[in-house]
Amino acid sequence: MALRPLSFVRRALEAMVRGPFMTAVAVGTIFVATFVTGLFAASLSGAERLLGAWAGDVQIAVYLAPGADLGAAARAAEALAGGREVEVVTPSEALRRLKASLGPEAAALEGVGAEVLPASVEVRAPGISLQEARALAGKLAAVPGARDVDFGNAWLEKVELLLSRLRWAGLVLFAALALGTAVLVSNTLRLGVFARRDEIEIMKLVGATDAYVEAPFLIEGVLQGLAGSGLAVVALYALHAILAPRLVSAVGLAAPLLRAQVLPPALVLGLLGGGAALGLVASALAVGRYLRKP
Amino acid sequence: MASEALVQLFHVYKQYAGEGPALTDVTLQVGKGEFVFLTGPSGAGKSTLLKLIFAAEPATSGQLLVFGRNVAKIKASQVPALRRAIGVIFQDFKLLPHRTVFENVAFPLEVRGLGPRDVSRKVNAMLRSVGLELKAARFPLSLSGGEQQRVAVARALVGDPALLLADEPTGNLDPDRTLEVMDLIEGAAARGTTVVVATHDRSLLERHQRRVIALEAGRVASDGDAFRRISGS
Ligand SMILES: Nc1ncnc2c1ncn2[C@@H]1O[C@H](COP(=O)(O)OP(=O)(O)O)[C@@H](O)[C@H]1O
Ligand SMILES: [Mg+2]
Repeated sequence: MALRPLSFVRRALEAMVRGPFMTAVAVGTIFVATFVTGLFAASLSGAERLLGAWAGDVQIAVYLAPGADLGAAARAAEALAGGREVEVVTPSEALRRLKASLGPEAAALEGVGAEVLPASVEVRAPGISLQEARALAGKLAAVPGARDVDFGNAWLEKVELLLSRLRWAGLVLFAALALGTAVLVSNTLRLGVFARRDEIEIMKLVGATDAYVEAPFLIEGVLQGLAGSGLAVVALYALHAILAPRLVSAVGLAAPLLRAQVLPPALVLGLLGGGAALGLVASALAVGRYLRKP
Repeated sequence: MASEALVQLFHVYKQYAGEGPALTDVTLQVGKGEFVFLTGPSGAGKSTLLKLIFAAEPATSGQLLVFGRNVAKIKASQVPALRRAIGVIFQDFKLLPHRTVFENVAFPLEVRGLGPRDVSRKVNAMLRSVGLELKAARFPLSLSGGEQQRVAVARALVGDPALLLADEPTGNLDPDRTLEVMDLIEGAAARGTTVVVATHDRSLLERHQRRVIALEAGRVASDGDAFRRISGS
């Protein structure tokens, strides 16, 4: 039997035009699911961007064991940090900084010798992301005489942990939404299948295969999924255009929240693919339940 | 003759769920190129027998061979191929009201995956032969009963089936329309199509001198020449 994909697409489009209400409900449901998921994902990546901007001037300190060779450590750090700015902090410099940061309270340090503070090598890495900072810190552990590597911003770690938990929550949310949407949409599409039961019956009586009967419904599901998720992407773009400038000025951020960062192509493609898959699964459920019926 | 049989039933029983038996121990054969009437009072099992032949209903027990293929044990995936070789004229026509006459007749061809040009050529030729070429764009419900019946005949024959099953094809037609439809069916038979017509209309049996299988309460009551049967009863 010859394959005529275009005739299937034509039949799917005809069916959608004949049942505009069902089409609207299916598209609308998939729109809501993909929009909510997209909004969640975009908020997360936006939050990560903001966090990165705040983290700004990341400084990694490699604390050295007493008696370590400062010069060798600095050269090793320079090599490992790939040309970043490296500064050697001797124990006395560390004490001076500590006193300066304490201000009037510095009197409490009276009589404390510089030798109680460890020498360190500091690597400045402006604009580096948290992941990169962690990776760099890991490499710097190899500096001869290194005892401890610290990249200050402990609170960033906590926030990052929170974000990664939210990412998981997002996945769970998406899974739950996808399941709910598939069931909802398949129930809607089942009405459409039911409305065409005479046509299906006659098709089968004159020798149509199940695949022939099914194909237009599946194509219809994919088209509805693409329409719903496409609208969601457009809505997310619009929301970004409205919100991003306000948000940036509200938190006094230097860098703009670029669309490509908040709504990266991978996310957009994921939403479109997810929407199409939802439509496909929903229509397969709908027509399968009908066809497999005795 | 046995090797030439297109339809063979051996001790076929059919019982619908929660009903009494619809067919009981039916054994019969229809040869290639034969024209057979299936008759009997309403409820005798004529429609059921036809449904068994094109696998619209499963037999409860017994063997049922169509084109030598055991329909009693047919897999769902093999049903479409069987049905493409069989044209069925349904008692209730089964035309789609929201499709044009052309689209209704095109259905069996499209289902086979024929291209639009071939579909168009064959459908138009078929509509000409049933005298409906001017009504191709009409919807079935805007046609008379006789015209609708001819659309149903056209759809059954458009795929050039080896076997034609007709369930009360003249059921609600006046005498002139009955003649027209029976002429179309005779025409198909003359071109070599094997034909089984279920009817309770005795005048048909008299006019067309053909083999008659009579069912009564789901059993084969008689099987033979039409004329003998009518005059003998
Ligand atoms: N789908 C069905 N479900 C249950 N019983 C049926 C069904 N179709 C037919 N029957 C029963 O089977 C018997 C034979 O019916 P049918 O084959 O339609 O006879 P005929 O076509 O000779 O009038 C009748 O008793 C009828 O009530
Ligand atoms: Mg009947």
